[in-house]
Amino acid sequence: MHFFLLGASHHSAPIDLREQIDFTRRGLSEALETLSQFPDIGEAVILSTCNRSEIYIACENPQRVRETVSSFMSTFHDMPDAKLAPHLYYRVDADVARHLFRVTSGLDSLVVGEPQILGQVKEAFSVASEQHYTGTFLNRLFDWSFTAGKRVRTETGLGEGAVSVSYAAVSLARKIFGDLSPLSVLVLGAGEMAELTVNHLRSQRVKRIAVANRTAAHASNLASKINGVSVAWDKITNELPKVDIVVTATGSTAPIISKTDIETAMRPRRDRPLFIIDIGVPRDVDATSGEMEQVFLYNIDDLRSIVQENLARRQSQVDLGELLVNAEVTKFMSWVNSRAAIPTVVALRKKFDAIRLEELDRLDTKLTDLSPETRKKIEEITRLLVEKLLSSPTENLKATTNEQTVTAYTDALNELFELKNQDHANKRDTADTITDDTTTSSLRGREN
Amino acid sequence: MILMPLVFYVAAAITYAVAFAQRSDTVGRWATLTLVGGTLTHTFVIGMQTMQVGHLPIVGTTGAVSIFVYLLAVAYLYTETMTNERAMGVFIVPLMALLQAIPSVTDTVASRPPVLDSPWFAVHVSSLLFAYASFALASVIGLTYVLLFKELKAKHLGFFYARLPSLKVLDVMNGRAIAVGWVFLTIGLSVGVIWLIQVQTSTLDPRVQAMSFFDPKISMMAVIWIVYSFAIYARRSIGWSGRRTAVLSAIGFMIVLLNFLPIGYFVTQSHNFY
Repeated sequence: MHFFLLGASHHSAPIDLREQIDFTRRGLSEALETLSQFPDIGEAVILSTCNRSEIYIACENPQRVRETVSSFMSTFHDMPDAKLAPHLYYRVDADVARHLFRVTSGLDSLVVGEPQILGQVKEAFSVASEQHYTGTFLNRLFDWSFTAGKRVRTETGLGEGAVSVSYAAVSLARKIFGDLSPLSVLVLGAGEMAELTVNHLRSQRVKRIAVANRTAAHASNLASKINGVSVAWDKITNELPKVDIVVTATGSTAPIISKTDIETAMRPRRDRPLFIIDIGVPRDVDATSGEMEQVFLYNIDDLRSIVQENLARRQSQVDLGELLVNAEVTKFMSWVNSRAAIPTVVALRKKFDAIRLEELDRLDTKLTDLSPETRKKIEEITRLLVEKLLSSPTENLKATTNEQTVTAYTDALNELFELKNQDHANKRDTADTITDDTTTSSLRGREN
Repeated sequence: MILMPLVFYVAAAITYAVAFAQRSDTVGRWATLTLVGGTLTHTFVIGMQTMQVGHLPIVGTTGAVSIFVYLLAVAYLYTETMTNERAMGVFIVPLMALLQAIPSVTDTVASRPPVLDSPWFAVHVSSLLFAYASFALASVIGLTYVLLFKELKAKHLGFFYARLPSLKVLDVMNGRAIAVGWVFLTIGLSVGVIWLIQVQTSTLDPRVQAMSFFDPKISMMAVIWIVYSFAIYARRSIGWSGRRTAVLSAIGFMIVLLNFLPIGYFVTQSHNFY
């Protein structure tokens, strides 16, 4: 059995092309259904996100499947092959596993280490497996990729540190206050940036969000959208002592909150911290306010430089991530190689059993004098004999993980015991594969 | 055998440091296990010494240091289990290893002079040692608070930002450790005074006669009580928290250590029972 992958991602294709080959437009089920009509397809999973469209196949002949899947791509998306081909990449066997493990661990993502892709791959896999388009091999490959993805994320710093300004603000808040749910937030400004940051805070279930804006209508607009309250612009200083987090994102050209405002606000608060996120350009809060004990003032540049540092730190973990991925690929391929011997094992056992039954049959007339119990015993003894003869070669063959050794052993067995002559063995006799109906999962598992 | 707890504490200190630097949970679990191993062997050593002299080995500073380290280990392990937070271990376990070196090099256990043959004495010493252990925890938590506070203020989020819990959590833990310590400090001191009133008239032991407010060990103890009482008052009534109480707890524990070791060994005329 072989693995095959064809795909296009943000590395290989521009956004407009990616949009055109997005499988989710017509639904993954339809795509899988159409793909299954094509010949040579074994098992299949289609992964389609805004950054990538990829088709994972388990098949007998990757060369033929390459042509099949390419033509499926161009017919399904109604796009000439010549236009599509330069943006597609192909992978076979270990490289498919490596690619998928890199994808699930976030190594292949636009923002290295981003967490959503793991969930997206899980979703894509469950669509395919629920509709029985997957079998032993892709099930194992994808299960393995989830474990590998998690392992890379936990054992490296690949997914750590906020990589967007608004998320950086939230993680800072969590580092100062711990649990954000008892906190109150004041938002100045009602623009896009303010809304984005407040949405992140809201997802942390803060207790109260108050919005103030020079144009009161905008404030109440945003307030109703985020389930907050609006506050009159001239009442800001009354709010300051009560809140824990202030987000300012106005277009004002002069500072809105002076150091004196903060000093007045801090007096009744004593040592209760105040976290000010000033993402307005130019700045909305007097920069010297941050000098006060228990005032944590971060402006847009501070947050951006945190994001830059985090990105750099993630990048520094890439090599370690690649090493872990390679280790997982090696382990996975050992499993795949050990599976390669199974058809031969099955054929061998069938052959031995056939000989046993044939001989019993031949002796049947000579055994008629014996009692049914004795005959049953003879049958039992012959069965055990075959079982014992085959037990150690079977175990040893299954335990072999080196690809060359497996091929050498299975070739030898096929040759010596003339396994290939049996009609249940190989229908598709390719040079490098030995198949058997126990492992050839047809695309529709349920039809087996 | 007497060296075993020290060996475990040193090993635990190293493992905690590795776990902290690499942020590895697996290594962290080993660190906790090693510390538990240290605490268990320490229990055994203290048990042996108790059998040897017929009472808890808390007479004399050396014995008291060993019990202090033991209580600190127990208190720390309790905190770690409760908060599921291992980051503090890297600061506190080295302190245990350092202090445990003192009882490890002296194999003798002071036996109890008849004057100390009172249940009050055991309560007095163990309460105070437990108070010290709480204060040690509070100061270490305070120290980590300051480290994280500095990173957040400097807007340079690095080593401690990635490893320590939030300022709020550290602040609450610091406050609790001080409160628990203060309760035991007050119990230990009250019991000491009651016991002193009982025995001072009935014995001529020079050490008991030297027990007055002007003995350095005792007057320092009053200072310690005032410092921690103020820390609690400041938190409750003035609204102090964070860095101020963190610094206060560090100062408090410095005085505790000073009183416990140099003053306990070399200066005091009243508490030299070793």
